[in-house]
Amino acid sequence: MIEVLDLCKTFHDRKKGDIAAVSNVSFTCSPGRVFGLLGRNGAGKTTTLRMLATILYPTSGTARIDGIDVNENPGEVRKRIGYLSGDTKLYDRLTGRELLTYFGELAGMSPASIAGRIAELQVSFQLADFLDKRVGRMSTGMKQRLSLCRVVLHDPPVLIFDEPTSGLDVMGAREVLRIVLDLKSKGRTIIFSTHIMTEAERICDEIAIIERGSILAKGSVDSLRQSNGGGSLEDVFVSTVDKVFREEAARGEPVRP
Amino acid sequence: MRSRAWSVCRKELRDALRDSRTIIAVFVVPLVLYPGIMLLMGWIESQNKKDEGAMQVRVGLVGEAQLPGLVPALKSMEGVTTVSLDRVPPNLESAGVDAVLSIPPGIAQSIPRGDSVKVELLYKDADHKSSAAEKKLRPALDEVRRELTVLWARSHGAPVAQAPAVAVETRDVSSKAEEGRFMAAFIIPYILVFMVAAGTMHLAIDATTGEKERSTLETLLATSTPRRDLVLGKVLAVIATALAAGLVGIFGLWFNFTVLAGLMPALSSQSVQLTIRPDQAFFILLTILPTAIFLSAALVALGCFARSMREGQTYATYVYMAAVVLGLISFRQLGAPPMERFMIPILNTALLQREILTDTVVPMHAAVALGMSAVVAAIMFVIATRLFSNESVLFRT
Repeated sequence: MIEVLDLCKTFHDRKKGDIAAVSNVSFTCSPGRVFGLLGRNGAGKTTTLRMLATILYPTSGTARIDGIDVNENPGEVRKRIGYLSGDTKLYDRLTGRELLTYFGELAGMSPASIAGRIAELQVSFQLADFLDKRVGRMSTGMKQRLSLCRVVLHDPPVLIFDEPTSGLDVMGAREVLRIVLDLKSKGRTIIFSTHIMTEAERICDEIAIIERGSILAKGSVDSLRQSNGGGSLEDVFVSTVDKVFREEAARGEPVRP
Repeated sequence: MRSRAWSVCRKELRDALRDSRTIIAVFVVPLVLYPGIMLLMGWIESQNKKDEGAMQVRVGLVGEAQLPGLVPALKSMEGVTTVSLDRVPPNLESAGVDAVLSIPPGIAQSIPRGDSVKVELLYKDADHKSSAAEKKLRPALDEVRRELTVLWARSHGAPVAQAPAVAVETRDVSSKAEEGRFMAAFIIPYILVFMVAAGTMHLAIDATTGEKERSTLETLLATSTPRRDLVLGKVLAVIATALAAGLVGIFGLWFNFTVLAGLMPALSSQSVQLTIRPDQAFFILLTILPTAIFLSAALVALGCFARSMREGQTYATYVYMAAVVLGLISFRQLGAPPMERFMIPILNTALLQREILTDTVVPMHAAVALGMSAVVAAIMFVIATRLFSNESVLFRT
């Protein structure tokens, strides 16, 4: 279970002063469901997910992961999450097995449980052919499967995916989405950020459109469509974000596309 | 084609001139570092000479009664104490002197007869104090030469200008082993400082800034391993490479100067035998440990701070340059160095290694050097941990 309540994050820039990257973001996601954060680059998706993964500290507000507050007990939160970012790379000089073993050790798993879990996952993630190959010699698709395997190695109940299909070809992206849906079917609580509408439509039970660090609209794909008077999810997204631009222009604020 | 080549050239130069590393390599290093090192070397040399001049030396005199003017001349010299000896001692240490001036017996008869005589100043070039004694006594040797010439001229009733040359010579009585020990004490600490610094540089930056550049940092931070343990693990790995560099360095020096030189007779006869005893090698390795910890923690802290590998490597180069300068400062030492120099990391290790190699370890020096290095290393580790936990540092752009 993920509960996010009035989450805010402000960065300080020497020239620009304080910049609100995330403002009063609130949502919940239950086990067995996928919550999608849909937004443009720089909209605040990654900052929100980094706060949920306890990589960044919220400026105000909070989030509870599996009932544990990210501000009060980030160490316990980390035990319960698997985090994957699309631009995350792996250690090229390690083999797939060495890499998984390393992250298993960092998660506090015993050598026996690591070995058992790798044996189990190499079947479901189809890693057997390249598990003992150095990461640097793997294809992009192999690396992404290995990354997903790393995320679920310690069997966390909550999974945070930040644009996990970024940089993948169609086949690779389909494979990632298949795995995410498989994890959903196993009762994991999943938060998934993307700027690709078709992905969001395909796997998310609920979507939040985020722009300028704030959630502009939230609901299921169908409810969002209905509230926009029909059309595709892309139409909903464009009209929602465009509304913000028009409001800013009406207030005489500089254009920040 | 040429105009396109010119376009490429302009682009590369514009790009390079906006890269701080190029600015440092092209302008700062030649204009600041190299002249700075030259000035430092000059200052060290002048200070060493000053120290030599101020040294108190004991000179053994054999047969000095034959030259009545000699002893008063020596006594008038600042910092020279004379000791009368019956004969030339088998070695300087046994007589407790830094040099011996030997005037052969019966010189008053030999000179008038025109016999060949040789007055010798025995000293050790491989010993700072003995070498200083030789330099101090050079005017005295001129006095000996003058007295002997006058003696010949008087006995022959001839002008001094016609006197044959009198052999008044200096002789370095250092053994090969002593020369080797002296050279080892100078060179090895300096080389080891380089080796350890070079051994830590790459891994420290790769393990920290490299995580940022590869975008693996977030993955690492999202694990349940405490940040302190992540930093500790990285520092330990860097220490291991630094120690390996030091160990291999010691082995390499020993192999080159002991084994390889022994296999090549021509090299062996001409070169100095740099000998390191196993116990010295062991203690030197021990002294490397706190320096390796300090350098590792400092470089990991800088690596955490740097935004990119390029920036990290630039910082690492500064640390390397600082190590080079501190290594050079270790040459500024004749006799026992003052205690405050044992408080400066890297320099203190080089000085302590020098004491180990010359068997002149002062326990307080060792305690201060190791203690200070450990304290500074601990401070650096705390800074590295804080930086690794500081999101504004880790994600600064």
